[in-house]
Amino acid sequence: MSGMKIRSQQTASYTEIRLLITHPMENGRNRDPVTGDLIPAHFIEELTLKLNDVTVIRVNMAGSIAKNPFFTFRLKPVRNGDKISANWIDNRRQTDSVDHIVSETTER
Amino acid sequence: MRSFQRRIFLRKSTRLAVAASAIFAARAGHAAWNAEHFAGAPADDILARLFGRQPILETGQISLSVPEIAEDGAVVPITIGSELENIERVYILVEKNPTPLAAEFEISSAAMVFITARIKMAESCNVWVIARQDNQLLMVKKWVNVTHGGCGTG
Repeated sequence: MSGMKIRSQQTASYTEIRLLITHPMENGRNRDPVTGDLIPAHFIEELTLKLNDVTVIRVNMAGSIAKNPFFTFRLKPVRNGDKISANWIDNRRQTDSVDHIVSETTER
Repeated sequence: MRSFQRRIFLRKSTRLAVAASAIFAARAGHAAWNAEHFAGAPADDILARLFGRQPILETGQISLSVPEIAEDGAVVPITIGSELENIERVYILVEKNPTPLAAEFEISSAAMVFITARIKMAESCNVWVIARQDNQLLMVKKWVNVTHGGCGTG
């Protein structure tokens, strides 16, 4: 159901992180096309990005972020071998996380 | 006498520092997601909840890239960038969405001010990006024409 993909790219002036999260991001105002019932709200509230276990970016969000959120962030250049981790928690207290080791060839 | 007072002062200031770091830790914790900020309310109300009466200055030093015409309001790409230093927070607001605040970003000094995201837009309106730099609020806005919005978005 859920899942998270993380990629990094090293340049001379920054390290770019791209994050794709599988999540419905329902805002609670949509109706089921078949039954006509309201689809309950189900959205990520917080996303945290850590560099070597230290928080570098935090995002608070709600149902105005598109389904299957995709974010790009840039960090000041990090070293190859540094660990980047991302984790989120949603309004149903479900969570997911992913770890990623930065290398020259992380474009996979 | 003097050194005794100094010791008391040191002890008190240590206690203050501990209290301050506890407050910071609490602020940095999960309590930071604020339902009041993400409530369904007019954009002006949300602005007041976020920033009180603090003036918001329009700036040319933050770049905001959004499509002029968004065919699908359910997925509108947005790119924000700035060379400014000391930007601690960045907010994305969609003026006419039922819940105007789309996201708030806390950016540490290890990160740069460069963000892309995909937001929902219920109808054609302005997208506002507001950044907190030290004690001032900076804003850039752009109008987006939404071809297909309404239900299922915002």
